[in-house]
Amino acid sequence: MKTRREFLQGLIVSVGGATALSACSGAATIAATAPGQRGRFYTGNEMALVSRISDLIIPRTETPGALDANVPGYLDGLMTDWASDETRSNHREALQLIAARLDAASGDFLSANEDTSIRVLSELDSIAFSGGSGLGGYRSLKGYITQAYFATEEGAMEELKWVAVPGRWDPSVDITAGD
Amino acid sequence: MADFDAIVVGSGMSGGMSAKELTERGLKVLVLERGPEIVPERDYTDQLAPWQSPNLDNVPQDEIRQHYPKQYGGVAYAIKESTKHFWVKDDEHPYEEADGTNYDWLRGYHTAGRSIMWSRQTYRMGPQDFTANKEEGVGVDWPVRYEEIVPWYEKVETFIGIAGSEEGLSQLPDSVFQPAFELTDAEKSFKQKIETTFNGRNVIPARIAHLTDATEEQRSLGRSNCQSRNRCHHGCTFKAYFSSLNATLPAAERTGNLTIIHNAIVKGLDYDPASNRVSGVQVIDAETNERRTYTSKVVFLNASAIASAIILLQSKSEAFPTGLANRSDQVGRNLMDHVSGAGVAGIMTGFDDKTVFGRRPSGGIYIPRYANVTENDKPYKRGFGFQGGARPLGNAGGQIAGIGRDFKEAHKRPGPWRFSVLAFGEQLPNPDNRVTLHASRRDRWGNPVPIFNVTYGENERIMQREAVKDAKAMMEAAGCINITSNDANLSKPGNRIHEMGSARMGRDPATSVLNGWCQAHDAPNLFITDGAFMTSSACQNPSLSYMAFSARAANYAADLIAEGAL
Repeated sequence: MKTRREFLQGLIVSVGGATALSACSGAATIAATAPGQRGRFYTGNEMALVSRISDLIIPRTETPGALDANVPGYLDGLMTDWASDETRSNHREALQLIAARLDAASGDFLSANEDTSIRVLSELDSIAFSGGSGLGGYRSLKGYITQAYFATEEGAMEELKWVAVPGRWDPSVDITAGD
Repeated sequence: MADFDAIVVGSGMSGGMSAKELTERGLKVLVLERGPEIVPERDYTDQLAPWQSPNLDNVPQDEIRQHYPKQYGGVAYAIKESTKHFWVKDDEHPYEEADGTNYDWLRGYHTAGRSIMWSRQTYRMGPQDFTANKEEGVGVDWPVRYEEIVPWYEKVETFIGIAGSEEGLSQLPDSVFQPAFELTDAEKSFKQKIETTFNGRNVIPARIAHLTDATEEQRSLGRSNCQSRNRCHHGCTFKAYFSSLNATLPAAERTGNLTIIHNAIVKGLDYDPASNRVSGVQVIDAETNERRTYTSKVVFLNASAIASAIILLQSKSEAFPTGLANRSDQVGRNLMDHVSGAGVAGIMTGFDDKTVFGRRPSGGIYIPRYANVTENDKPYKRGFGFQGGARPLGNAGGQIAGIGRDFKEAHKRPGPWRFSVLAFGEQLPNPDNRVTLHASRRDRWGNPVPIFNVTYGENERIMQREAVKDAKAMMEAAGCINITSNDANLSKPGNRIHEMGSARMGRDPATSVLNGWCQAHDAPNLFITDGAFMTSSACQNPSLSYMAFSARAANYAADLIAEGAL
């Protein structure tokens, strides 16, 4: 059975007559992580916080969620391999601020039950997206989580139904016709 | 006996066309490319899926700071981890800016140059563009008129392939077209409202160099129709958009008359006063520093407007103490770009039940120049075209409120339709806008570092200020809400990547470098057919004109060689 990547390459070759596709060198290597486990950048506590927030923002539904797609591992790699010292420092400060605010609202965010976790994160999110000050770091974290999720094979293919080779441009599609 | 019939310096947009036309005329041609070879099967990255590029395909921040501060600052949208090999490292190819000025020199040194990374908007100049200098007493008169270029536009367009629509506009003449990318419903609504509200303004599909109905000739070069992936800045495995690597260089190659040498930096041109000819092209091997000289009957400079001027300035001799072919003192002067800054966006309501399929590769709508064409009440000379379009804004990036299932699934919905336009305006030629050579600072190959001294003038500032007003008025007429604009914060000179004018053509050798055939007044076997020849900038994206003039000059040179005149 062909992998999805092999299938896509086959499609490109059959449609376009390309000769070789050696540039498809394979997926980026992202270390698998578990909540509480120290990453390359994140401490154990930071990994636990990022994991919990990622799961609440993009949960598993009929399609994989952020944890299924290893978004915390993706962000750990992003901070290690992409971010400058300044970005790392800002991100770390943001996590401390977020943890403090969530703990203040819930007692202990990481051990709070599901309903409490959703409530306090929703409140923080609502403030952050209604002009609340001091929460730029949260918006940034949410951006990283979301972009990372949709950049994974799970997020792109299973949730977004990303099409590698549309093959045509249709400027007018009724949304009710399907997703 | 010369090594070659012709040497073409540069393998990009214009160099590829020069090489194609010269080789197809039976001439033995050497193309010198200063950068390394690009092999599509190895170096195009358009096949990578999102998850196959690490770190959201972002270049590490420290690497940007060290190697790409100018390039990334200019075109962050195009410089990704998977495309950075198409852009020069600033620290390896330095330049300076005169005090108080800024210049974005955005480059790719490799086979096909920037024709791999261009944004593919493709328009003819119009009759008015060739007469404006004379009528207004600006710069010098173009030594050619539109009608003389028409057959060459047609020849080039038929070869490269342009998706567009026939509109019959005098100021933006139709090209030879393949089917256009159809407008979205929001764009059609915008078009209808603008064209009924503003008499003389038109909203047309952007004209882009993508195949939508490939010809036999194009298929014979391995090219096929655009697949609507919008991966163009990564190269195109389908060869669906025009680049010299996708089209002109393969066409030259199959004649059997082409030799291409990579990593060949041209240091200067030798001049023989006895014959009044360029007698040799001095080359430095970028990797080994080995030096050699190649000879030919004719030399075409297609190194890009700035680099071609630099080569002339570096080619000093007793006969030309300020640089080859520079008796007019115009080499390096009149450096122009297109000026942007007037960008306006708004939300189009009423289309929330619509989305699109496929990823349109470039463009959307184009609003051809109307200023001083159909509207003659402007407080500025010349005019601008608007590029833009409407697309579903989507919710990518996570910058909307909410968590959980609703938030996750919101990303599958198109979101509101955002309409945006950006003006591309004409910059008037000004001899004080110039590139010169540093007196002492050298690059790693011992060549002088260029210094830019380019600023926009009052006409450009007023034009962009007025363009913002026009764009806002059109957005309002189209029923947009939440209209946002930047108040004409002008783009840096060079940032539109349409450099031109640095060895202008003209009728008088005392005031211009080239004649109407792109042939140097001072050395008849020297031709310059990159953007350097442009006597004025017009406001249309210029690559098509570079190629039309290249094809015309190449065939003229071939005629002269056949006659024994060169």
